Amino acid sequence: MTFFEAKIPPIRELRHPETALAHGALSCPSPKQYRSQKPHECPIFSQADRSFTQGSICPLLPALGIMCSLPKTVVLLHGAVGCGSCANGNNLNVRAGNAQRGRSSGDVVWLSTALGELNVVGGGEAKLGEALLEADRAFKPEVILAVSGCLPGVIGDDLDAIVARVQPQTKARLMAVHCEGFKSRFMATAYDVVYHALGRHLMPEPSKKIEKLPDTVNVMNVGSMGLVDENELSRLLAGIGLKTNFFPVFSDPLSFHQAAAAILSVSVCPTHDDYFLTRLEEQFGVPYIIHHMPIGIENTRLWLTDVAERTGRQKEAKKLIIKEEKELNLALKEFKPLLAGKTAFIAAGEYRSLATSSLLRELGFIIKGIRSFHFDQYAEVELEKLTRANQEFIYNVANVQPFEEANLLKRNPPDIFLGHWHGNSTAARLGIPTQVIYNSGYAYLGYQGVYDLARRLHRRLSHSSFYRRLGRYASLPYRSQWYQENPFSHIRNRGVQ
Amino acid sequence: MTSFPYIERPRWTCALGGALAAAGNLPQTVPILHAGPGCAGNFAWTNNGAAGLAVTGQCLSLSVPSTNLQENEVVFGGLDRLSEEIVHTLEIMEGRLFIILTGCLPEVIGDDVESLVRDFKAKKVPLIHASVPGFLGDSYLGYEELLKTLFREVVKPSAAKDPALVNVWGVPPTLDPFWRGNILGLDELLKLLGLRANFFFGPQATLPGIKNSSKAALNIVVSGLYGRQAAEVFQNIHSTPYVLAPLPFGAGASERFLRLVGRALKIPSRKLSSIIDSAGTAHYTYLEPIVDVYNDMEAQRHALVVGDANYGLALTDFLAEDLGWVPELTVITNDVSSDQQNQLLDFRRQTGGTIPEKLIFEHRASQIKKMAEEIWPASGQKKYYNSRRPIFVAASSLERTLAADLGAAHLSLSYPVANRAILKRGYTGYSGGLSLTEDVVGACVAGR
Repeated sequence: MTFFEAKIPPIRELRHPETALAHGALSCPSPKQYRSQKPHECPIFSQADRSFTQGSICPLLPALGIMCSLPKTVVLLHGAVGCGSCANGNNLNVRAGNAQRGRSSGDVVWLSTALGELNVVGGGEAKLGEALLEADRAFKPEVILAVSGCLPGVIGDDLDAIVARVQPQTKARLMAVHCEGFKSRFMATAYDVVYHALGRHLMPEPSKKIEKLPDTVNVMNVGSMGLVDENELSRLLAGIGLKTNFFPVFSDPLSFHQAAAAILSVSVCPTHDDYFLTRLEEQFGVPYIIHHMPIGIENTRLWLTDVAERTGRQKEAKKLIIKEEKELNLALKEFKPLLAGKTAFIAAGEYRSLATSSLLRELGFIIKGIRSFHFDQYAEVELEKLTRANQEFIYNVANVQPFEEANLLKRNPPDIFLGHWHGNSTAARLGIPTQVIYNSGYAYLGYQGVYDLARRLHRRLSHSSFYRRLGRYASLPYRSQWYQENPFSHIRNRGVQ
Repeated sequence: MTSFPYIERPRWTCALGGALAAAGNLPQTVPILHAGPGCAGNFAWTNNGAAGLAVTGQCLSLSVPSTNLQENEVVFGGLDRLSEEIVHTLEIMEGRLFIILTGCLPEVIGDDVESLVRDFKAKKVPLIHASVPGFLGDSYLGYEELLKTLFREVVKPSAAKDPALVNVWGVPPTLDPFWRGNILGLDELLKLLGLRANFFFGPQATLPGIKNSSKAALNIVVSGLYGRQAAEVFQNIHSTPYVLAPLPFGAGASERFLRLVGRALKIPSRKLSSIIDSAGTAHYTYLEPIVDVYNDMEAQRHALVVGDANYGLALTDFLAEDLGWVPELTVITNDVSSDQQNQLLDFRRQTGGTIPEKLIFEHRASQIKKMAEEIWPASGQKKYYNSRRPIFVAASSLERTLAADLGAAHLSLSYPVANRAILKRGYTGYSGGLSLTEDVVGACVAGR
């Protein structure tokens, strides 16, 4: 039985019990230690937690990032009225993404069952059933995603049963998506719960004969990449004679079945994709590559070479890579003198933080520290690339936790900080110039991404007055004593090895 | 409350979010969330698209201490985790007041937070607790619960009253995207009457000011709905009476505000008239330069107003009275009971100001669109008909599509405001009225 036959997908902690570690602990303070101890053997790298924590990101947030982008879809949040209000933030990305794709940029349709005290006592199932019917009638969508917040998980509402009961009465396809925040410390569980629903409900019947699409590869996009990044990957793959099928972000849910017809699936972000790629291979015989993230020159080369090898296009790829790298290196000459020797600190999702660090090294930066939201087996290859250079850097695994970041940055401020959405204000208030590590309006991936990030870093570092002035007057909410303490003093091992 | 099975694109978040937006904007205060792992992140992402770009505060966004409850605590209880979190918060975070805000999870599993708080209080830790789970209601309710907790736990009793001191609330931080500026505008008005005011929240507020707010001679709630119950609590404990006043956008509403407060404090009416006359004269000195063009461009508009209980009434009043426009439809987007609806209408009648031509309570953008289309049907019908155009949409960012469909100018004013940067701007008082005129008329001439 595959995971997809179960109603509820496994959380990351269960799916990768040996290697999916460190939801929030200090991992390896230095490459030296990394080399002597593989991360999963490193005691401080195991499933530790903290005795003090700040707000974090639960699986619901990034899951909504994907769900809100789906056209012809209504997102029905089943929970208290606050759960899912982050759709206000997701809406920005959706409007921009639709505009980039030349679609009308209406607002995300999201609804909340707004469970109240009566529902806590008497259950919310009836309300959910009525809401599904009403949403179907009012909006006539193709798909309604019934998404559970924490509350139904505690009061015991059976989301799947309600969806199954109501389905015969609606035109829209109904799907349950399990996003109870308290169930997993891995924000990345978000991707699995969404893919679980899509994989269970929108793929062809396994018995159905599927006409393969020659020369077409699936590229799994992520909410943090915009059309400009998709276009770059399309351009590179077209350069070796391949057509691309991007999904799931911004693609019509009823077109997902096309993924079964591709000759190969390629991951852009291994943190994001492994759950669904295995599904595509097991069920539909679509092989996959999950190895590198095409951020940086070497990573783009490796990513493209992998695809070329699997599709028998090594010669074309080699030619293309030589031409592209030559052109890019020439173009980077304008920026490199200023960037060389500058120090950087990076904080973001697991894979993006590590891959972006490699890119920065290629531009001449010295990496002072990296913070990842989590760490698992897929990222070992990325961390290894970074330890080759024999430069010491701090590696800290944390689901946000800016108090540790503030301590690290104050001790040893870098020239620039690259952080996740809502992850840059600590550094900025310390007066450190920052650059957001993803923004779906800008290029980050492929060769174009290297150039464009270099261009923006050059601009920021040569015009950073905003941060200098902010740092002089702004403050952070920590006591001065905190900066004297070991930044990792609140990490403790729960004893799980 | 609506018996409808869902709220469409709620224009607020939950009680916890409202309480956090308020607590995080109290002076020298550190909120501590005892809640699920994504609540703080959810509020940050919410406000990113809704609060005029304002997300970060001294201890807001993802800096706020939070127990981030996991399955283990949901099964075995979260008090140990909370206790540990408090101890370390006191070590790490800079603050003089610490407020535990409990969300859905601990409230359902039954954590006895009160007894834990008592233990800390016994050790002289300045710690209080507000129970604000999301299932209790919306952010307005969270704001009100936080106020009540402050009045009960932080404000020190004082029998002596200072006749020149007032307290003002009813402007919920963040839910009112212009709250900081609106506080400044109110302060400006009260200064005209020679009064000092506590606003509790924002850069000007101080903790001693809050603690001594019991000395105020009058509490002014600038809302027909938000903060009324808190005013009752304050009155019961600290014996300060209160008045309800509409949020005063612009000159007309400011005049009524000054009279209302002046009367409550027994300021002689001749003195009030003189204050109002000179403030009005000064105000119109600033407005006069655009009168030529305002007239020549035929700036008078028919309007659709969409906002919460404060903004729905205040914007309608401003557009009708100060600009002399024609608000055809006013939509109040709160999910409120029919009792509260009547309460709000009574409040409007009693406090003066424009009574909306057509007022409805509706949270569904899809329904608002239908009602607007009834008033403004697609043209091309009869040769002669009253088109009620040109139209101006004074609403939230969610009405942009509707405005485009109506061929109307649009300005995001009420939550969610996604497409404006808001720092100090506010619309209360005389100077706020000038800002609102600039913004509204500015939106009409954007393509000029």
